[in-house]
Amino acid sequence: MLLSQNVSAVGPLNLYPMDFSDESCTLKMTLRNLQSILSWELKNHSIVPTHYTLWYTIMSKQEDMKLVVDCTNITRSFCDLTDVWVNMTEMYIPKVVGYRGNAALVSCMGSFFLTTDTLPLDPPEFEIVGFTDHISVNVKFQSVAPKILNEEELQFYLALIEEQSGGTVKKHKPQINGNITENFSYVIDKLIPKTNYCVSVYFEPKDPRKINRSPLKCTVFQPGWESESSESATIGGIITLFLIAAVIISTVMMLKRIGYICLRNDFPKVLNFYKLSVLVFPELPRLEEVATVEVIHINRKKKVWNYNYDDESDSDNEAAPRISAGGYTTHGLTGRLCPASVSSATLEDCSDPAAEEGDLPEPEADAEALTAPGPRPWQSECTSRGYQGRGNLLQDPFSEEDSSSTEGSGDRIVFNVDLNSVCVRALEDNDDSEVTPMLPSRPEETVVLEDPDETESNLLVASGEGTQLPFPGPSAECPWPEDAPSDKSDTSESDVDMRDGYVMR
Amino acid sequence: MSVDPDVIRKCMWPVCLMGLFVTGILSLDCNLLNVHLRRVTWHNLSLLSRMSKSFPIECLRESKAFELPQEILSDTQPLTRDIKEAFYEMSRQAFHIFIQDTFKSTWEEKHLRQVQIGLDQQLQYLEQCLEEEEEENEDMREMAEDEWTQSGAPVPQLSNLELRRYFNRIDRFLKDKKYSHCAWEIVRVEIRRCFYFFHKFTALLRRK
Repeated sequence: MLLSQNVSAVGPLNLYPMDFSDESCTLKMTLRNLQSILSWELKNHSIVPTHYTLWYTIMSKQEDMKLVVDCTNITRSFCDLTDVWVNMTEMYIPKVVGYRGNAALVSCMGSFFLTTDTLPLDPPEFEIVGFTDHISVNVKFQSVAPKILNEEELQFYLALIEEQSGGTVKKHKPQINGNITENFSYVIDKLIPKTNYCVSVYFEPKDPRKINRSPLKCTVFQPGWESESSESATIGGIITLFLIAAVIISTVMMLKRIGYICLRNDFPKVLNFYKLSVLVFPELPRLEEVATVEVIHINRKKKVWNYNYDDESDSDNEAAPRISAGGYTTHGLTGRLCPASVSSATLEDCSDPAAEEGDLPEPEADAEALTAPGPRPWQSECTSRGYQGRGNLLQDPFSEEDSSSTEGSGDRIVFNVDLNSVCVRALEDNDDSEVTPMLPSRPEETVVLEDPDETESNLLVASGEGTQLPFPGPSAECPWPEDAPSDKSDTSESDVDMRDGYVMR
Repeated sequence: MSVDPDVIRKCMWPVCLMGLFVTGILSLDCNLLNVHLRRVTWHNLSLLSRMSKSFPIECLRESKAFELPQEILSDTQPLTRDIKEAFYEMSRQAFHIFIQDTFKSTWEEKHLRQVQIGLDQQLQYLEQCLEEEEEENEDMREMAEDEWTQSGAPVPQLSNLELRRYFNRIDRFLKDKKYSHCAWEIVRVEIRRCFYFFHKFTALLRRK
């Protein structure tokens, strides 16, 4: 029989023909304070043994039950097997027998593979002490190192729980030098003052197993460190403000650079109205030179080309539209169009009864004309051409109602025109003598024309006073038809230019 | 269905790169073999523990000493490759035992399948890393073998032989007991013990 320090071998198992069922009691294997403790609890509480005895065997070998000497005839319901069960690779089969006197009341067996069948390691005992600048955690390990434990297989964790911030848990992993036998202290600093901190310690094996955490122990971090904490808080606040300001400034600069804000107004100097002299002595606007102009608006009916090539078309009374190579019909602009497209122009000439005859416009007609002699040339042209169109198959592209225009039945618009803003030119032909605009003898004087009825008188005035209108040469910029009214007999269509009729200065 | 050659050319390089990338990710980093083995071995060990609530005490009488060859990894300073080969042999033999279909009524099917999958994973890890190591260090290995032979030290393959004998005893035990419930429980406990034994030696792989 093999005898060990704490274990004595017994005979074969059949010396105790007990029920090998383990249903009579519950066996548990725990690691309490780094010690292997086997505990048991009877399921039938009516059976109360006076003392217990523990045996065990192993699976790897066919051996007899061995008696644990330290756990023979004990009244407690647990046994310390730290120095007995040391081989983690073995599967131990314990047997507990409960006695009352010399009679065995109950027996139960179990099997324990310490690696997996052991309850989570109990955490060690510890104390926490709060100081002015830190919290000290004093952990007490057992003096006896359990043989089943290995530093490589266990990692000691110290969990710091900060209750004030909603249960934030911070884990600390203290470095334990040597075996887990001696007591050690762990310092936790960098804490927030006036904050309640709770600490829990536990062992965590490297392999995934259950963890048994210790109960929390709490303490309030004393505000003795307030000065340093406040200094650090102040520095942190300053840094934060600086960062915020830097972000804001950089954002504003970026927006300004991309033109989203503070748009640049690089106006020319002439548009710079923010001069002191201007503010102090505001310049009065110049009086505009105004001339009265009557504009006769003629409603033209749009000519719809029906593409009828029949000979019975109405082209007899109308100017045969020129047919371009593309088959489109072009219509020349009449003199009416010239003034019509110009605000300062007038169509009055076109509606002048005196022009019906198609003769050269008389001075009276001219008197009814717009303004100064300057505009007269083209006005006469306009007039003549307008009636040339009538007589020479000049097609007014806008209306067939030439008569209406001649009758002067169109709308009339009267408005003032700054002669300085218009450009006139003289005719190049013989009619120039009649329509020769008067040279501005007094460039500073203005020509004022009021009513059409007074145009003659006004004209005279204008002629006497001259006009400021520049007298452009033949090479005027004014895009008026250059043909003289004397050319009215010609096919005006060919002479009519597709000009917009704008008067340019 | 015809594929445009231009499309193939355009897609070839991205597909190749993607394949290499995916392969690189999925492939095992053999530098972390010890981590993988430790994790997988522990997982298999836990599965064996959960397959049965507790060892039936009545089967204790039929227990047998299978004599796990613990000396192969304890006393000497084995090479890393020797440890890997021992792991591989152990995994292969254990997989061969648990792949049999004679214990359907003993344990739950799902637990058994999990054990088989775990062992298969372990085998794949070891196969890949052993092949890589063999390609890289083939010359060095030959030199080491020559030295071992000249010095009279045991050839590293002896550990594999011991392991094969060990598992052969287990297999013969099962056959002798006619794959009874108690026989399977005893084998389950024994192989779990073997797993834990090898689990401890993954630390040797890390140190090396």
